[in-house]
Amino acid sequence: MNAATLAVTVLLAIAVLVSLICCAALVIVKDVFSRMHFLAPITCISMPALLAAVVVQEGWGQATLKTILVLFVLLMVNAVLTHATARAARIREFGHWLPNPKENIPGASTHSA
Amino acid sequence: MTVWLVAAEVLLFALVPCGIAAFRGTPIERLVGLEMGGIVQAMLLVILAEAFHRPSTYDLALAMALLAFGGGLVFARFLERWL
Repeated sequence: MNAATLAVTVLLAIAVLVSLICCAALVIVKDVFSRMHFLAPITCISMPALLAAVVVQEGWGQATLKTILVLFVLLMVNAVLTHATARAARIREFGHWLPNPKENIPGASTHSA
Repeated sequence: MTVWLVAAEVLLFALVPCGIAAFRGTPIERLVGLEMGGIVQAMLLVILAEAFHRPSTYDLALAMALLAFGGGLVFARFLERWL
C-alpha cells in the first residue's frame, strides 16, 4: 500500500465515520433544534475529506472540479436549509420566530404581542 | 473491491438512521431526517462516481444536492403554517 492509497483510505474513513456518527445522532438526540446541529459536520468535515480523497486519487481534473462544485453547493445550501427549517420549527411552536422578551437574548429584537 | 466501493457500502448504512428519523416524530423532525438523507445521498453518488471511474456521474451528485435544497425549502416553507 503506497502513501496515496493510505491517504485516500484514511480520508474516506474520516468522511464515512463522521457521516455515520451524525446520522446516528439524528435518532439518539430528541430535540429538533439539537438534531439540526448534526447537519453541519457532515458538510463541513465529511464532504471536504471526500474532496481531499478525490484530489489525492485523481489530481486536478474534471472529477475534482465537479466535487468542488458539489461541496460548494452543499455548504451554501445546508446553511440556508437549516435556517429555514429552524425558522419553520419556531413558527410552528410559537406562531412567530422572533424571541420573546422573557427569553432575554441580548441584542435581539423581540416579538411584542 | 476498491476502497471506494467499501466506503460506499458502509455509507449506505448511514441512510438507515435518516430513514428512521424521517418516519418518526413531528413533521419538522421528519424533515431534518429527509435533509440529512439528501446530503448522504449526494456524498454517496460522488463516491460511486469515483468508484466506477465515470466522471459524468458526478453531475448526478450535483443534481441531488440542488434538488434536496429545493425539496427541503418547499417543505420548510409549507410546514411553517400550512401543513
